[in-house]
Amino acid sequence: MSFVSTAFIIFVILCIAGYYLIPKQYQWCWLLVFSYIYYLAAGPRYVIFLLFSTVITYVGGLRAEQGSKAAVPVVLLLDFGALAIIKYTNFVLGTFVGIAGIEFHELDILLPLGISFYTFQTAGYLLDVYWKRCKAEHNFLHFALFVSFFPQIMQGPISRYGQLAEQLCAQHTLDIRRIESGLYRIAWGFFKKMVIADNAALYVSAIFDNYMTLRGYGVLGVLMYSAQLYADFSGGIDIVIGIAECLDITLAENFRQPFFATSIGDFWHRWHITLGTWMKDYVFYPVSLSRWMGNFGKWCRKHFGKNIGRAMPICVGNIIVFLVVGVWHGPAWHYIIYGLYNGLIIGISGLLTKNFRSWKKALKINDKSAGFKLFQIVRTFVLVNISWYLDCAGSVGQAFMMFKDSILRFRIFGDIIDTYYTWSGSQEVTMACIVFGCIVVFIHSLMKERGVDVRAALLDRPIPVRCVVLFLLLASLVLIGNQPLSQGGFIYANF
Amino acid sequence: MEELISILEEIQPDADYETCETLIDDNILDSFAILSIISELEDEYDIRITPAEIIPANFNSAKAIYAMVKRLQG
Repeated sequence: MSFVSTAFIIFVILCIAGYYLIPKQYQWCWLLVFSYIYYLAAGPRYVIFLLFSTVITYVGGLRAEQGSKAAVPVVLLLDFGALAIIKYTNFVLGTFVGIAGIEFHELDILLPLGISFYTFQTAGYLLDVYWKRCKAEHNFLHFALFVSFFPQIMQGPISRYGQLAEQLCAQHTLDIRRIESGLYRIAWGFFKKMVIADNAALYVSAIFDNYMTLRGYGVLGVLMYSAQLYADFSGGIDIVIGIAECLDITLAENFRQPFFATSIGDFWHRWHITLGTWMKDYVFYPVSLSRWMGNFGKWCRKHFGKNIGRAMPICVGNIIVFLVVGVWHGPAWHYIIYGLYNGLIIGISGLLTKNFRSWKKALKINDKSAGFKLFQIVRTFVLVNISWYLDCAGSVGQAFMMFKDSILRFRIFGDIIDTYYTWSGSQEVTMACIVFGCIVVFIHSLMKERGVDVRAALLDRPIPVRCVVLFLLLASLVLIGNQPLSQGGFIYANF
Repeated sequence: MEELISILEEIQPDADYETCETLIDDNILDSFAILSIISELEDEYDIRITPAEIIPANFNSAKAIYAMVKRLQG
């Protein structure tokens, strides 16, 4: 059941209406039933994996609380083992069979929806119990709701048990202002998705699918991909958080104006925040503080001095984290190199932190000035867009060829989507919709970056003003929204 | 405490460690700085800091870091 469908809208309305009509002590049961209906609608076979992960993590949490040292590694192995087999069998077999020079036919393996997201969520819970950051959940159905809460199961945000579980099982009173606020957030998400992402998708598909004929359009392709990916993912998250808000539940934010980032590290603090903090807490710190990394640090200190010795294990930890992020994005080499690209930039920047400080001092650069900040934002935007070649292309070869063509055969104007689609729209109108949508999102982001709570300000306006804003948002979906390619699907739901 | 503050100042100079109580909440210390601090603390005080200790409550102020060090020293 796609978010962009009448069935989903009716499903959500029924869920919210019933939630506030039934006795409050049963609200969590209502959410659990709706969550499983939602997941069953995607395909009954998928539920087996969801239940498997829920049961073993629930038991593992209880065992970890009782002091079992074996429970955590066993359950993590089962959880991530299932994920790895489902997601990476074709990639691993294909690579080895390819090396042997034998033709490989991909196995038909079912990828359960949202498996990456709920696996990360359950693994985080288990480690939190093990590290005594939270108590184990003793009620199995409460735990099942934490794992399956329907708005977030497809594309996150990846919630922490300590932050979400109590809210899910609490009793909630109808708050009209909160529901109105949630509705704005949902409408804003649909605006981003249908006006920007689905229109930009036309350009992205035309340029990346036909890169051998549309040579030199790489810059336009990645700029469109930037718009599409941000609007698609953050728009989807807006819808998720908005629905949760209507249920009086606060989910973690997943974006914080990422294109205002001043470095790649800062970008990952603003983009897919819950994945970044998950990786930091459950991969980066454990790897960087492991005994073998400690020994590596000592070896580095002995051979390269105190500063490099201290920074080197952290750099290696960063590279490992982004390698995992790359692998998580998909079973393909271009994703792995995408991860390494990010990891190397962050790792090397960390290694050179002290040098950067002294260079700036020597060159008398005021790093607090607006000009320097603007330079940092533009530089980061360029570096991020270079990484999109690897993220969006179908192979490493394609990414490198498109990047090379972007420099040697640079083009930006020409018949792109009109040539590749038989449709009633026009390229000029599509571009105008994308530019309009991006300008609106940019102004909104700029206001948020300056500390303005746009929705709170809107909620304080008189009713006619609020109605006009909501009407304009909804009208824009009908008039300039588009979904010819994605058919309502979201990019990150595939991960 | 003074020794601890000089360690913090060497790793991340742009903060007022005497008064600040939001080193993590306000992103003054990033993950790179936290691990550098841990590395120094482990060497200086002969303690072992595990991932379980990396929570905002233990790193939000110099006082909190000092209390964690004392606790781990036993």
